Amino acid sequence: MTDLATHVFTGLGVLFFLAGSVGFLRFPDIFSRLHALTKADNLGLGFIALGVAFQAGSWRQVALLALIWALVLLAAGTVSQLVARHALRERDGR
Amino acid sequence: MQGFAFRHLLGRIAFLGALWVVLSGLEPKALAVGTVAVPAAVWLSLRLLPGPRHLAVWRALRHLPAFLGASLLGGLDVARRALSPRMPLAPGWVEVPVHLPDGGRVALGAELSLMPGTLAAGTRNDRLLIHLLDVNAGFEDAIPREEAAIAAMIDGEPAPREGG
Repeated sequence: MTDLATHVFTGLGVLFFLAGSVGFLRFPDIFSRLHALTKADNLGLGFIALGVAFQAGSWRQVALLALIWALVLLAAGTVSQLVARHALRERDGR
Repeated sequence: MQGFAFRHLLGRIAFLGALWVVLSGLEPKALAVGTVAVPAAVWLSLRLLPGPRHLAVWRALRHLPAFLGASLLGGLDVARRALSPRMPLAPGWVEVPVHLPDGGRVALGAELSLMPGTLAAGTRNDRLLIHLLDVNAGFEDAIPREEAAIAAMIDGEPAPREGG
């Protein structure tokens, strides 16, 4: 049962990473590509962490997985703003 | 005021202490290092994020399910657009006036960047620059709602008002 949950959730996670990568390759400009990377990869990692959590042996491992996801979420939200801001400045020649 | 500052400090110690236990476990050796690391982290956090304002934690927690739901929709939306053969995109920009302090703006931008169709790209003249994945989808309607939610998380901030 827990193995099934792991398969389902990590599978979903891989699908979102795949979709994010496809968006990164197909989308026309840097800003649209950032949408794909931040939003899809956030879900990809979230689902993979959720799937792996079903294999965890202790509460601490679950908390560590949650912490990893939360930190990546924080980093993705911050870094995408910085990249977008820089790209906009460069485009506007400032 | 004294009681408030004390509670504030206790909150930071509890949070960073819990983080330490999650990171390094409950073995005596790990706890021993923690007796140095946690106070150092508390000191650093007070230096980097001082200020009488503090995050209303329960308000942030109460907002969490809505945010997770929206970020799920955001990921689904962008995945659908990326994988669709027609790749329906109508990228464009909106500028939104914000009334949040700097930290609140960054938090709002980070949140919007994970929600459907919006991506923050800094501010210009107190207006948040938002890239939209599809200008016809009404993604920008979420911005004032999120701003109000974040304003409510920052204690002592007046609620944002249009033209105020």
